[in-house]
Amino acid sequence: MTTIQGSTIGFQDRAGYRRTMNGIRNSTLPILIVLVFIVASISVPQFFTFETVRAILLATSITGIMAAGMTALTLSGNLFSLGVTASVVLSGVLYLRTANATGSIFLGALVAILAALVLGLGQGFIVGLGLNPVVVTLGAGAVIYGSTAMITGGEVVAAGSRDAGRFATFAVAGIPLPVLMLVAFTAVAWFLTERTTIGRDVHLVGWNKDTARNSGISFMATTIWAFLIFSVGIGIAAVLQVSQTLQVQADNFPEITMNVVAAVLIGGTAVTGGDGSPIKSVIGALFIATTTQIMVLAGVEQGMRYFVLGVVVVVLVITLHLLRRAGSR
Amino acid sequence: MSSVRSWFTRYALQLVVLAIVIVSMYALYPEFRVEASVERLIPLGVIAAGLAVTMIAGEFDLSIASMAALAGALTVVLAGNGLIVALLIAIAACTLLGMLQGWAIATLGINSLVFTIGTLVLIRGLTWLVCGGLAISIDDFSASDIFYGRYLFLSPLSITALCILIALGVFLSRTRWGRELYALGSARPEAIAAGVPYRRGMVIAFGISAACGAVGGGLTSALSGSAAPNGLESMLVLGIAAALVGGVSIAGGRGTMVNVLLGFAIISVLSAGLAGMGAKAFVSQLITGIFLLAIVLAEYFIARLGEHGNRTRLKQLAEA
Repeated sequence: MTTIQGSTIGFQDRAGYRRTMNGIRNSTLPILIVLVFIVASISVPQFFTFETVRAILLATSITGIMAAGMTALTLSGNLFSLGVTASVVLSGVLYLRTANATGSIFLGALVAILAALVLGLGQGFIVGLGLNPVVVTLGAGAVIYGSTAMITGGEVVAAGSRDAGRFATFAVAGIPLPVLMLVAFTAVAWFLTERTTIGRDVHLVGWNKDTARNSGISFMATTIWAFLIFSVGIGIAAVLQVSQTLQVQADNFPEITMNVVAAVLIGGTAVTGGDGSPIKSVIGALFIATTTQIMVLAGVEQGMRYFVLGVVVVVLVITLHLLRRAGSR
Repeated sequence: MSSVRSWFTRYALQLVVLAIVIVSMYALYPEFRVEASVERLIPLGVIAAGLAVTMIAGEFDLSIASMAALAGALTVVLAGNGLIVALLIAIAACTLLGMLQGWAIATLGINSLVFTIGTLVLIRGLTWLVCGGLAISIDDFSASDIFYGRYLFLSPLSITALCILIALGVFLSRTRWGRELYALGSARPEAIAAGVPYRRGMVIAFGISAACGAVGGGLTSALSGSAAPNGLESMLVLGIAAALVGGVSIAGGRGTMVNVLLGFAIISVLSAGLAGMGAKAFVSQLITGIFLLAIVLAEYFIARLGEHGNRTRLKQLAEA
């Protein structure tokens, strides 16, 4: 973004032009969300009710936590993971099983997050060798899915008591815990990627892998860190998701992977790495959750919802790409 | 004679793996039949060929499984006009969509992974709309009988798949447009500087990819007489596994239709053998995933060893 092409005549103009383009790019999604809210509150009568807003926030929180985590991965130049669903399901199964066996939901949550971390460590190591992240996570997803189905025998794992759902129902001053977790995790992810040495390395590796490597930054270590940040998000999100449904089966939640990837992409984090922020991805998740909820309220069928989501993702990805290109000229 | 030997050394790793897989299947499960296992998964072979073409051109088509599902849905919906006609219309429509996709990727200069993950969702949504949100089936149950004949030892299905692979193989290695895909995949800036048209290459690669996906999906639906809005999702991971296990390079520029055929044979023997032994579908997903990871790791370490060997040789030359 800082490369200066051609002569420096009119540099001031061009700098101003670049700033404008980047400004437009950064404000596209917030403006769209506001527009969607305005349109929805006019056209869908029961939109601004407590229930709707709560549903939107809950849906945002689970996708948002994972999207904030995946941003670290995308920032480090490792594109995205296509094995999110499998990890979420395995963590969820372990959460319920541990909680059922020990009666402690905190122990269950700990086991779920640790499992996600181990899976992330393994994938991070393989990707850190320099292998294609999309293929590795896709393959790892198949392995994790197969293992989960084998552990559970393909059966439904259900919560032993209502206690297992306490993480979803607990609220502080009327704000549900998942939403608080979203805020907390996004803050941590933002701090880690923007204000620490690890985050600096993640950005640099994503920006220019060879230069970063020549400056003594380890690609392997940075990639593993990015995967670990992502995995904590997966663990937390899995616990919150399963706390809501109180049961889980190996082939549940197939839409999670695409929702998380879509949130990161339309949030505006550059898929080439180095440019973006967890906060942007959370805004992306908020946008997806809002549009989905509005369509549910308006009685749009599932197929049409999926189609609209696809159109939105493609159009926004193209728009952001063109704005980014204009901004770097 | 030397060309035969070089052919064997080129595909040695895959041939050995295939032999091991077949032998171990026969050892574990004596009633196992190779032909039957390969027959069942033929659409996968065509889909893997499509993925291989985009990989050779240095790109990636994540939307191929959705494209297959769309073609399947279209085939079932249009089956009233005759199954073959419906199949052809579905394939033509999907090919056009794929060419449009390639054109958009080239014109926008966008990363194909990003673009096709968007179209993955979009085309899946289209499939939901075409199906009307439900699993659909052909009313005329005898319509798919034409696929169950047998000529010599080949079924119409395997003849179609073989013809497609041979045609693609000839196209890639013997025609100018095909060779341009290799050039774009292995050294893109140099290829473009030398005058290879980038946009045409992308339109061709993604057109072929979509067409292969459509053939795979359309044939699956024509054979079973049904289509589901969320069907064929596992074709993406299986197709990538088949192409990569066969030895097509994900870095671009390397791989042939022989690689695809070998990879397809390995994956299909493996999953059909496991299914025959009574293992559930998730076991074959598990094994396929392990195979996929193992093969990319093996390829990585072989490349590292080769690099190391080259460096040692250069050092020796320099010292001499």
